[in-house]
Amino acid sequence: MRRAFTSLVGAVIEAWQELRVHRTRVLLSLIGVAVAVCSLTTVVALGGIVQQANQELSERQSGRPASLFVSAYSNQGTAIDSATMDATWAETLARYDITYGSRVMQTAQAVPFTTGVVDVQTQAVDQPYGEMHRVRLTEGQWFTDEDAAGLAPSLIVNQIFWERLGSPELRTHPTVELGAQGGRPGTTAVIVGVYPVGSYETEPAMFMLADQLSAMTAARPSAVVQDPYGGGGSTRYEMWVPPAISDQLMEVVKRDFSSALATPGGGTGGIQVDVYRQDYAQYGDDPFLVTKLVVGGIAVLVLLLGALGLVNIALVTVKQRVREIGIRRSFGATAGRVFFAVMMESVVATIAAGAVGVIAAVLLVQNPWTKDLIGQGLVSDFPPFPAEAALLGLVAATAVGALAGLLPALVAVRVKVIDAIRY
Amino acid sequence: MSLLELRDVTRTVIPPDQPALTILNGVDLTVESGDRISIVGRSGSGKSTLLNLLGLLDMPTSGLLTFDDRPVKSYSSAARDRVRGAQIGFVFQQFNLLPGRTALENVAMPLLYAEGRSFWRRKKLAADMLEEVGLGNRMESMPDRLSGGEQQRVAIARSLVRGPRLILADEPTGALDLDTGSSVMQLIDDVATRTGAALVTITHDPAIAARARDHFRLDRGVLTRAESAELAAESGAVS
Ligand SMILES: Nc1ncnc2c1ncn2[C@@H]1O[C@H](COP(=O)(O)OP(=O)(O)O)[C@@H](O)[C@H]1O
Ligand SMILES: [Mg+2]
Repeated sequence: MRRAFTSLVGAVIEAWQELRVHRTRVLLSLIGVAVAVCSLTTVVALGGIVQQANQELSERQSGRPASLFVSAYSNQGTAIDSATMDATWAETLARYDITYGSRVMQTAQAVPFTTGVVDVQTQAVDQPYGEMHRVRLTEGQWFTDEDAAGLAPSLIVNQIFWERLGSPELRTHPTVELGAQGGRPGTTAVIVGVYPVGSYETEPAMFMLADQLSAMTAARPSAVVQDPYGGGGSTRYEMWVPPAISDQLMEVVKRDFSSALATPGGGTGGIQVDVYRQDYAQYGDDPFLVTKLVVGGIAVLVLLLGALGLVNIALVTVKQRVREIGIRRSFGATAGRVFFAVMMESVVATIAAGAVGVIAAVLLVQNPWTKDLIGQGLVSDFPPFPAEAALLGLVAATAVGALAGLLPALVAVRVKVIDAIRY
Repeated sequence: MSLLELRDVTRTVIPPDQPALTILNGVDLTVESGDRISIVGRSGSGKSTLLNLLGLLDMPTSGLLTFDDRPVKSYSSAARDRVRGAQIGFVFQQFNLLPGRTALENVAMPLLYAEGRSFWRRKKLAADMLEEVGLGNRMESMPDRLSGGEQQRVAIARSLVRGPRLILADEPTGALDLDTGSSVMQLIDDVATRTGAALVTITHDPAIAARARDHFRLDRGVLTRAESAELAAESGAVS
């Protein structure tokens, strides 16, 4: 045990001295490894970031896994009474203890800006929606209980909306008059949050709470403008549940809705209830698998090329050191020790090079220019450098070091001591 | 009990595409603690091959080689390496210092293969040893900045730093001028005497051989004892 420990420490010291003595040569060979690790880490990190961005985008649009949607319509084409739908929905959430459920209504609200009145696309949602769709805000915060209880409707507006108002401080509780037209006063609403937009978006948009929208509409029916984007003002019912129970839940929710909506006399015949899943994970397969494989394949190739260069230089180095190895053997170095020390040289060096490569990759990926390039229009909020990419870079460097050290170490062990020290 | 013993030892090599070559033939030699042995012989007579056997770097083709009365054949290869590291110190004609390492690092090198205190205190032990060979002021010098005599002193310090019981010197003065050579030999003698180590010196210089107590002569792989260094050298001249 004690011997194993001193052997380990001794081998590392030997390796370090060796590296110090052959500084230039080692440095040259390590540039290749550092570059390879840097590319590997960069590629994996960028892949990770793009994937995360894609995933976030699709989550924002169709929800996190597993997101279930409930829709119902009569076979005669008549709309289902929305009060009945809302009540059934609330019952279902309560019965199955579902925390994350939200109604989503697409409407438009007339908002007076200094440049004129604009019909602003509005999503009326319930409080859990923010968490369900990972809505990120640059200012303020998502709807709180206090906002929900407030008399004046709260609004979360997009960056464009906010900037058109002159980017007011949210602390000052900026307001807008919803539905104010032709001198008629509207409903005063308070802006409580601002969310970022992708660069492809050009129009103001906003969120408000579904209950506050209903209250406002009931008080002043003219406030609802026909949705110019084709949402039709119909309500979507959406829940975010653990994927493991989603299939089961789809069945029972469908059953519950069907029986709740059935007309007393006519049975369920006239009503069609659908519960479906729409998030990206619904197909089971990883939709990013191909991207991952391609990116990973390129990275491994790059690293193998780096390793090849390293093996080459390490072999030359060992051949030049046959005499030195013979001298060490004659002073008590066992074959195992020589093997390990040569191996350590390679590993110690590649770990150092790997660290440099990872740092370079971080600088490469996290600089504003790159962020602009990949984030463009897709990522409103650039994710941090993926830790697993950095870890992968270091692990790969170590593995390459061990791999590249193997051949020279085998050569070193085969050195014949008496031939090595003969002059 | 003897430190090292050779009984009827033969060493044969078979060079590629050539008939077998017997380098050592029927060699008998006993080395006890504290012995001073000199072996003289012409170039190519098999001196280095014999020294490699004594240093457990090589194995006899036939015959018996024991270390501490134990047949060397019964040691595993790693055990042989460890015995060599702990018990035997080499001094080579061409010094064989590691280039690019300071004198101190060179002397500390064998302690990298030691354990416990010797391993952890190797810097201090190596520094003490360099003081002892009179190079306390050259610890951080690289070998190529040292004179031949100084390099051989560093090599001597390195061979002694683990306190070996056997010192093997293969033409230790061969690359040095006369005066430097004799002071280097004096140094090896002194340290060997102080530590009680056995010293086997291979040389073709009768003056160096004369420092030993037991004299041997190697001629075409056959080892014979001589009464004196002069006789060992003379018989070489005669044959
Ligand atoms: N591995 C070997 N293969 C072939 N010939 C060898 C080998 N080792 C030694 N010899 C030969 O054996 C003879 C003795 O070598 P060596 O012990 O080095 O002699 P010395 O040290 O006395 O000059 C030399 O002729 C040398 O060429
Ligand atoms: Mg020789």
